[in-house]
Amino acid sequence: MDKIRRALLGQIAKLTAGAALVPLSSVASAAINDQPPRREGDPEKRYAMLIDLRACIGCQACTVSCHIENEAPLGNFRTIVSQYEVEHEETGDSATFMLPRLCNHCENPPCVPVCPVQATFQRQDGIVVVDNEVCVGCAYCVQACPYDARFINEHTQTADKCTFCAHRLDVGLLPACVESCVGGARIIGDLHDPDSQISRMMKEHYSELMVLKPEMGTAPHVFYLGMDERFVSRPDAKPAIWDVRDQQGEEIGYEFSGH
Amino acid sequence: MNSAVIEVLAPRYGIAWYPWAVQYFFMIAVSYSALLLTVPGLLLGKKNYQPLAKVALLVTVSCTLVGPVALLADLHQPLRFWHFYANLTPWSWMSIGSLLLPVYLLLVVAYAWLAWRPAMQEQAQGEGWIAKLSGWISLGQWHAPRWMLVVSGLGALLFSLGIMIYTGAEVAIVKARPLWDTLWLPVMFALTGLVAAAGLVILINRLMTGNDEDVNEQSLKVVFVSMVLSALVAALWISEGITGFSPSVEQALVSLQGNPEWRAVAIYGLLVGIALTLSTIVMLRRPGWLGRSWIAGLLAVHIGWTFRWMVLMEVQTVAKNTAGYYHYAIEAGSSGLLGIIGTFGLWLAALLIIDILVPWKKGLPTSPH
Repeated sequence: MDKIRRALLGQIAKLTAGAALVPLSSVASAAINDQPPRREGDPEKRYAMLIDLRACIGCQACTVSCHIENEAPLGNFRTIVSQYEVEHEETGDSATFMLPRLCNHCENPPCVPVCPVQATFQRQDGIVVVDNEVCVGCAYCVQACPYDARFINEHTQTADKCTFCAHRLDVGLLPACVESCVGGARIIGDLHDPDSQISRMMKEHYSELMVLKPEMGTAPHVFYLGMDERFVSRPDAKPAIWDVRDQQGEEIGYEFSGH
Repeated sequence: MNSAVIEVLAPRYGIAWYPWAVQYFFMIAVSYSALLLTVPGLLLGKKNYQPLAKVALLVTVSCTLVGPVALLADLHQPLRFWHFYANLTPWSWMSIGSLLLPVYLLLVVAYAWLAWRPAMQEQAQGEGWIAKLSGWISLGQWHAPRWMLVVSGLGALLFSLGIMIYTGAEVAIVKARPLWDTLWLPVMFALTGLVAAAGLVILINRLMTGNDEDVNEQSLKVVFVSMVLSALVAALWISEGITGFSPSVEQALVSLQGNPEWRAVAIYGLLVGIALTLSTIVMLRRPGWLGRSWIAGLLAVHIGWTFRWMVLMEVQTVAKNTAGYYHYAIEAGSSGLLGIIGTFGLWLAALLIIDILVPWKKGLPTSPH
């Protein structure tokens, strides 16, 4: 991608991080594919996460602790850290870039209005959850999420996703990924509380924050600090290793793509 | 700064919609398109279109019955289908579809029942278990006035429009998949549906009746016009992407750039499309070639089905965030190959059961010519 377009994209990314903070005031039930009213959760709060990429070392402790806490099936992840190796084409210098991914708990979540049975919904505190006793497993929400944050859990045969560990937040605990983060890169908190760490950091770094795929108009509520705009949307990258599993989900080795 | 980026470890995401979805989208599109083909002969009563209407009605009914079964199977929790009706969700296209589909099915069945009833009543006069069954199915010897047929036919047509819109919109609103997020897609679904339905009518006409030449000619014309319109729509869609008029289509083209497999598919689609269009011209122009229309019929069905396979299955292998493409290999089990074969098997069964019970080809020539 050329320089000008990249710069433009960066600007859009930054601007939209700002726009994400403006609540969609008119999110009442209306036309087809509009956001339905929110339910459950604390209406006084708006949970969000700030990820300080400068402090992320890509250790995947969050990936592992989330997996243990939420018992996702092998090969499915509610959160994962994408790891990139970036090589300067002229000098040959290389660097790594770490990008933790999880559900963005968008202000305008595209997964919610598509659900045909209202199993997936947004709580009043902004957390997007799935009631897996209602979910029919149609996987429409999996298609609608631009972040690949959802999957069909093969054990429950219903949609599964990051909940910001709502079950832990509700009893005053931190999400598993936040608690296990070695560098303290993940900060979760209430945006409605001006004294919360996340509110203070958002204020301090407001102009530097970016969100993923702002062009999707989802207004994500996972904000990245120290982000490189080339990684905001699907990065122009080559895959290095695909993990190879057999039908039972057992790892049977690695397959290296040609490079 | 020019840099080369490698994603060190790319997780592999499975596909979320199985080939069942392809089967449903194929069957239901053939259903609403074949229903259209019954209109001149059955609803408007035009004599020279009556053989076409007879074959098309069989195609409509069999596909309408089997399509929803495939849809149900694509749910990971099929036994929870009643949740659709316990939690009505008017803002979800899929929920709207769950309301339209059963009504559409009932109207199609009513329409066909009324169309076939006189012949069934006549059959009920005979002896044997088929006659007995015919008597039960036709619910007595009373005469059903024509307005009943017209009302159920118009109702089915109205709801088929709803099915056409909802199946298209359901996919086209998914912004997360730029290849789906275009209004041209519903149009293409409808046009390729017409191609496949007319193709299937030609095949049934060849295999189950006397290969009536009028049916072949009328169906070939439908295939030809739909193919020309499809080509026009495809050209518009691509030019929208090239000119950057539609950022979504542009993004879609970018996400496919440099992928040899997708390029091969595009070229293959183009070639098969041209082959089908040319063959319809040849068969319509050359006297005596109408009897070989089944070749065009096969190609037409192939195009209608493969278009849906590419749109629904292959598009799911385009990664949303990660580098590269996911590899999708069709499974042997019920979520893969068995599902596809099973749906076609069920359709064949429906076709044969109707063929045994219903004298649907009454008035059609029976010996091939």
